[in-house]
Amino acid sequence: MDYLVQQKKNLKKTYLLVFLFLFLMATLGLIVDALFGVFPFGTILLIFIALIQILAGMSSGPALVLRSVNARKINEKSLEEKQLKNIVEELTIAAGLEKTPEVYVMEDENINAFATGFKVEKSAVCVTSGLLKHLNREETEGVIAHEISHIKNRDTLLMTTISAILGTMVLVQLFAWRSLRFLAWSGGGRRSSKKKDSGVGYILVALLILALVATLFSLIGRVSIFAVSRTREYLADAKAVELTRNPKGLSGALRKIAKMQKNKGKVKGATIATAHLFISDPLKRSVNNKEGFFANLFSTHPPIHKRIALLENVPDEIVLRELQEG
Amino acid sequence: MIVVGIIVAIVLILLIWFVGTYNSLVSRKKRVENAWSQIDVQLKRRHDLIPNLVNAVKGYMKYEKETLEAVINARAKAVSGGSIDDRIKAEGELSGALSRLLAVFERYPELKSNEQVKQLMEELTSTENRITYARQFYNDTVMKYNASIEMFPTNVVAKMFNFKPFPFFEATAAEKETPKVDLTF
Repeated sequence: MDYLVQQKKNLKKTYLLVFLFLFLMATLGLIVDALFGVFPFGTILLIFIALIQILAGMSSGPALVLRSVNARKINEKSLEEKQLKNIVEELTIAAGLEKTPEVYVMEDENINAFATGFKVEKSAVCVTSGLLKHLNREETEGVIAHEISHIKNRDTLLMTTISAILGTMVLVQLFAWRSLRFLAWSGGGRRSSKKKDSGVGYILVALLILALVATLFSLIGRVSIFAVSRTREYLADAKAVELTRNPKGLSGALRKIAKMQKNKGKVKGATIATAHLFISDPLKRSVNNKEGFFANLFSTHPPIHKRIALLENVPDEIVLRELQEG
Repeated sequence: MIVVGIIVAIVLILLIWFVGTYNSLVSRKKRVENAWSQIDVQLKRRHDLIPNLVNAVKGYMKYEKETLEAVINARAKAVSGGSIDDRIKAEGELSGALSRLLAVFERYPELKSNEQVKQLMEELTSTENRITYARQFYNDTVMKYNASIEMFPTNVVAKMFNFKPFPFFEATAAEKETPKVDLTF
């Protein structure tokens, strides 16, 4: 598939998502208005919060992610890091991007990497120091090509937007459940007046609906990010091969990642909100290596042996067995 | 009245299509030209790098005079310019000479552990990759452009304004033989 087609699709999905998010927040606002009889202030407030959230995400999203994993800019005096910068520049040419993404390193023993940025021109690639230590040039090229593909496809835009929106949904959900608990508790203490009692009951039911709706949406949101990010990983793997014309680099890197996965802990600073940005699950949730209905719903990354099998064009059981033995 | 309206609408739609097609052809052509200039930039980078590399290794490689001279001569030819065909040929020779030099490097362990040489080798590897990728990107862009000037109905507009296909950048015979040298340190 063409990059341009993919870019347009991702742009459209992002717009649709932002629109749906605003619509949802407005609906929640109307529920709040109906609850407390403050129309239209609740709606306005919630739309305002939604807009702020999106704008804040757009201006600081990438910087925020980079800070959260404690990333630093590369040091060009070190030969290893200069090589990384060279590889990023080479693949920028291969992908025909106009500007080279900024290159960052985070101190961590694991082999991992991610790309971030709303705009193609203002994106960044970040790798762990473990990656610099354990991968050779060919393998590093494979990983960087995967990340550059994410940038070129504008996956980074879509994924960062999803993170920002999901963050807000979780906030609304928390607010609704907390106020529900508060009201239920304080409402229970005022049994004397029958008139007040029915009013509180009404508010309780409405708040319960709000809480349930928000929870449902954040759950749907999570499941859809996971689905979206899984297909995106396969796609970026394929694009990486298209750029480097060499499937061995990336598959070699994925093999090393799979082998190291058991020994090292989680990537420092990675959270559930940023996990889907990485090339392999930084939180090492076991669900990502399983298959089946439940795993398909909740994993952020496709099973690594399947990705290797696709790149090397061999049956995935063979790769799985090989990884388990080694 | 209705007939006139329909005719005006059809003419307008055709006009919009025409302008759109023309503009998209121009932008594709610009993209090809831009991709070509990218190759040029990378070739220049290679030319600039070679004197440093040769100076750094000269002391170690007393017995490889021929290889070094071949590189220096090929560079001189490539820099001197000439027609596009001449240049492509000269760059091909330079690629061949460089790959022979890199193969010879393998025989000098003390050379490979020298910090400055390591850096230069990394730069050289990177430059060679950049040239390859720039060509790859150029060929991809040319393919899209050439296809669009041949496909109906864009070809009508392309013919009217004399849009010519661009040549692909083929690897020369010397480059096809290039041995794959493992440069990982």
